[in-house]
Amino acid sequence: MNKRQSRLFAVVSTALAAVAFLGMTVDSHRQFDALTNAKNITPAVAHGKDVWHKYNCVNCHTLFGEGAYYAPDLTKIAQHRGEAYLHAYMQDPSKFYDETRHRRLMPKQNLAENEITDLIAFLDWVSKVDNQGWPPRPILVTGASIPGTDLTTEQQATKAEQGGSQPPGARPVGSGQDPIALGQSLFRSVAPACAACHSVAPGVNMAGPSLAGVATRAQQHIGTPDYKGQAKDAAGYIRESIEHPSAYVVPGAMYSANGQSFMPATYAKELNSEQIDQLVAYLATLK
Amino acid sequence: MRYRSQQVAYWYFAVAMLLFGLQIVFGLLSATKYLGPDPLLYVLPFDVTKVIHTNLLVVWVLTGFMGATYWMVPDESRTELYSVRLAYWQLALWAVMGVATIIGYLFRYGTGNKLLEQPLPSKLTVVVVMLMFLYNVGMTIRKAGRFTTSEGVLLIGLGMAAVLYLPALLEFENYTVAIFYRWWTIHLWVEGVWEMIQGGFLAYLLIRLSGADREVMEKWLYVIVGLVFIAGILGTAHHYYWVGVPHYWLPIGGFFSALEPVALIGMAMYAYGAIRRTGLAHPNTLALHWTIGSAVFTLFGAGVLGLAHTWPSVNKWTHGTLITAMHGHAAFFGAYAMIVMAMITYALPAMTPDRREEGSSLGYWAFWLQIGGMFGMTLSFATAGIGQVYLERILGLGYLDTQLKIQVHFLMLLATGGIFALGVGAFIWDFFRYRPRFEVIEESAVRAGAPAGAALTGASRIRAV
Ligand code: HEC
Ligand code: HEC
Ligand code: HEM
Ligand code: HEM
Ligand SMILES: [Fe+2]
Repeated sequence: MNKRQSRLFAVVSTALAAVAFLGMTVDSHRQFDALTNAKNITPAVAHGKDVWHKYNCVNCHTLFGEGAYYAPDLTKIAQHRGEAYLHAYMQDPSKFYDETRHRRLMPKQNLAENEITDLIAFLDWVSKVDNQGWPPRPILVTGASIPGTDLTTEQQATKAEQGGSQPPGARPVGSGQDPIALGQSLFRSVAPACAACHSVAPGVNMAGPSLAGVATRAQQHIGTPDYKGQAKDAAGYIRESIEHPSAYVVPGAMYSANGQSFMPATYAKELNSEQIDQLVAYLATLK
Repeated sequence: MRYRSQQVAYWYFAVAMLLFGLQIVFGLLSATKYLGPDPLLYVLPFDVTKVIHTNLLVVWVLTGFMGATYWMVPDESRTELYSVRLAYWQLALWAVMGVATIIGYLFRYGTGNKLLEQPLPSKLTVVVVMLMFLYNVGMTIRKAGRFTTSEGVLLIGLGMAAVLYLPALLEFENYTVAIFYRWWTIHLWVEGVWEMIQGGFLAYLLIRLSGADREVMEKWLYVIVGLVFIAGILGTAHHYYWVGVPHYWLPIGGFFSALEPVALIGMAMYAYGAIRRTGLAHPNTLALHWTIGSAVFTLFGAGVLGLAHTWPSVNKWTHGTLITAMHGHAAFFGAYAMIVMAMITYALPAMTPDRREEGSSLGYWAFWLQIGGMFGMTLSFATAGIGQVYLERILGLGYLDTQLKIQVHFLMLLATGGIFALGVGAFIWDFFRYRPRFEVIEESAVRAGAPAGAALTGASRIRAV
């Protein structure tokens, strides 16, 4: 090969690659609208995107996995958290996380009310873009337990040494028809996923309290004068917690504001009664 | 120095050195915040230190590219620059823009679009500076009426880099489409036209440092450029996997980006082969270290560590983790920081004649501390990243709890980053400790073998061809 030929190689291969690339770019433009639900890009969503840029969120967080690695990925955050939670969180993150515990904290961003609302609309739009199902498993903000094993990593270490029995969630579940097993799987799969806010490992409080022992606690609550809800038994309490989270709120500034629980109030509408039954059946086993 | 106007390069290099030092300060600050808690949370939070860190990187590397071009073009075209004054105005405008942009970031004045955070006035200034630069270089070559292949590859690279910056000026309502075009700038820069720039400098350095034959070197340079673009253009798709584009980008991105290392292997063989076959023809062995080092470290950081996470089924788990930071550091350092330092080390003895041509021992310390430090940083990011992928992405532990478990790797990062910073400090000190004196060495003296007239080897060879 002489120099002329090698130059020809450089020019031709570049040209071919460029043509193929441009061709696929054109085709991608034909598909962008459908893949990204472009019709849902309302003025609020568009403004939310500007807010995202204005406050430099991308230099701490990733979105679609792009950005910085100092803070959690937010691609699906709107599917893990309800609007009430995100709203209160954006107003003051320090109410929700403790810098001495996790050694990191999101600084308060001083956002205007409408900026927060539009930001949430934007994050909601992002969470619905068809992006080949990424991330393959939900990326959680906190949680010191491995989902499905129901113990904190420390507890697992000690249990293993003692050769202790498997926690409920790590035991093999029986038939797929078992309402408890179905409830356990719903716990991870409904939107927003319960598992994104609740661990079932003792002491692992995430955006919501740990649900370890919730059935026992429920029994105790309904007897106390603080309790103003309608439930008569543990199962009723759990059902009420899912359908009307604010009927009784677990104390804690990171769980509610003005008696309004940060747990999404959307489940009563979006889950059918059979699904709620299954969730209740599962949680009622956590004694 | 054979042409008086080559001295503009010195001032470009000096600015690049200052910004490089500052970049490292902000890198160390960012890494400290990984350990936390952060006493500066409301003064200088992570997003600010990080955006300054990466922007300073891009600015100093580009400053280095421009300085090195102003050094190389007179040598290759055998003429004075078209306009020295324009070159200084360009530097002034560029430096003012750079510093103003960085100060703006301290007040969160930016567009919050990764790596393209520059506010519109800065972006427009970048375009103006680029035009001044390309005009000046273009007119120089026109005036000379001769130009070499190495120079041509360099210039097409620089011109295309300017063109590919243009999409960064556009705004898109759809975030997915914005991401799509962000990569036309970022990816097609670092895995396309900047590699051409690197290749142009590499060819220039190798021709002058080794006894390699220009015809042969330039022939292979074309082959490398061809390989870069066959794989690099369609390889853009390795950034498209999870952002909301059609599915066919996955196999395309996997296949073509997996081919990208071929060009980098070619580049390393090219550098090694040139020295191996023809031996050294120049006393500046320190510049040779940086030159060969750049080709080899690029193969490691970009080729091997890029390949490690470029396949869709791997990238699905590693995407947007510290694994990306591992690769980003090693690749950027090997390919672009090192090639700029190679050009500086090569050109410097001619502009600071008190310096020994073969490099001072401080210069060698700078080289090995940086290599060792960056290797250690790469390992620290890698071990942290593997831990993160396994705990957070695969097992499903929370993000914050995972970060707590990998703290020890952040300590490692700071320790090795400290070693790296010492190397940078040594390089900068070595740069500034000799006063510049710009003495033109006559062609006859060059021919008599004065070391600073390194241009001879290449130039006489062209004549022979
Ligand atoms: C200085 C870095 C930084 C910046 C800037 C930043 N964040 Fe955060 N963010 C964090 C950290 C750290 C966390 C983890 C939780 C915590 O410590 O508060 C977090 C958590 C979050 C969460 C998840 C909270 C939860 O419990 O689900 C959301 C949502 C969020 N950030 C949104 C944003 C938005 C929107 C912006 C821009 C307006 C932004 N962040 C800017 C650091 C940052
Ligand atoms: C956005 C976070 C979030 C999600 C998602 C979420 N919860 Fe909650 N949940 C909370 C918070 C916060 C509380 C405490 C405040 C309250 O009592 O409402 C809570 C409380 C509860 C309680 C009462 C606990 C107690 O100790 O009294 C139950 C039961 C519960 N959630 C079940 C569920 C189930 C089942 C799902 C999924 C269908 C779910 N949660 C989804 C945040 C969440
Ligand atoms: C002491 C030395 C350095 C330290 C401690 C350091 C630290 C860091 C940190 C903490 C980040 C932020 C990563 C994140 O988003 O979470 C970062 C980003 C980055 N740094 Fe450095 N850095 C150093 C030197 C360098 C050098 C020399 C280069 C290039 C030559 C470089 C290139 C980059 C790049 C390209 C990014 C963006 C990476 C990405 O987003 O994937 N850094 N650095
Ligand atoms: C000199 C060459 C290169 C440089 C300077 C470089 C630099 C970078 C940087 C800075 C990023 C982070 C970008 C961002 O998220 O904004 C990145 C990402 C990436 N690079 Fe490179 N790179 C180079 C070559 C390569 C090569 C040759 C490959 C593949 C073989 C590769 C594969 C990747 C992949 C897959 C990502 C995405 C990581 C993720 O999913 O988060 N890179 N590169
Ligand atoms: Fe890339």
